[in-house]
Amino acid sequence: MQQGTGGSDTEVTWEDQQNINKFGRLNNRFHELEDEIKIAKETNDNLEDASNELILTDEEVVRFQMGEVFAHVPKEEVETRIEEMKEVTSKNLEKLEEEKESVLAQMAELKKILYGKFKDSINLEED
Amino acid sequence: MAAASSSSASPKTTMERRGIPGAQFVEDVETYLSQTGLDVNSALAFLQERLQQYKLVEMKLLAQQRDLQAKIPDIEKCLDVVATLQAKKGTGEALIADFEVSEGIYSRARIEDNDSVCLWLGANVMLEYSCEEATSLLKKNLENAKASLEVLIADLQFLRDQVTITQVTIARVYNWDVHQRRIHQTSASTAAKDS
Repeated sequence: MQQGTGGSDTEVTWEDQQNINKFGRLNNRFHELEDEIKIAKETNDNLEDASNELILTDEEVVRFQMGEVFAHVPKEEVETRIEEMKEVTSKNLEKLEEEKESVLAQMAELKKILYGKFKDSINLEED
Repeated sequence: MAAASSSSASPKTTMERRGIPGAQFVEDVETYLSQTGLDVNSALAFLQERLQQYKLVEMKLLAQQRDLQAKIPDIEKCLDVVATLQAKKGTGEALIADFEVSEGIYSRARIEDNDSVCLWLGANVMLEYSCEEATSLLKKNLENAKASLEVLIADLQFLRDQVTITQVTIARVYNWDVHQRRIHQTSASTAAKDS
């Protein structure tokens, strides 16, 4: 992301610098959040697929992965576990989405302030 | 560990954090150049070198962060397994598990009721613990890992701020130089016209 400051007239105050720093931090966090959201969505999909498979299977004992081994677990217990895991992942996903919205809002605010002061001398867009 | 928040420190002080030197904020380019006694090119070279050093430290910290982020789910999985073993203890039935012997080859194991687990501590050391001790040890490790990760993330944020400050300073010094040259050019051409 470009953060160039051109122009010889506008002075950069400490407050401006802090705003620029904050924008940089928020932008980094935004990219991290996008990655985390992608992973959370994948995990959610996998759990969905797993519970669907579970409904289709007629075995009583399912091999459930715990750590590096596959433990033999009765079907009902596996269903409960998967439900719990789905709960956890969807709550996590919700939290991440909320944080992403907040970060975007803060970045929009800062963009207004910084473009207001520096106009063309600063570039805050993704390249 | 010096960790002053950058928003409360005055712009003149250069604080450092855990060995990372802080970037000095420049109020006015001209004063900065006269204070340091550097000409524009040396100042730019110094700032560029600082930027490179920051980048190196950033690589190192990012690698550490990746390691920690991989370790945490690992510890959580271990906690899960120990919890399952403890749950099975009450029922009296054995836990049957399939484990990997080699790539693509699995074998079945029958884990009887037991009170203890062995934990791999690293460095070719494995210790036997009771289930409760194992749970508390794993929980402690998990908390330590999470705390270290937080500190690391704060370090990275501080570092990135210093990188941004340095980049902005480089741009301003360069622009000031261009501005100065333009002024000298116009004054030189007016002097030539007058004479």
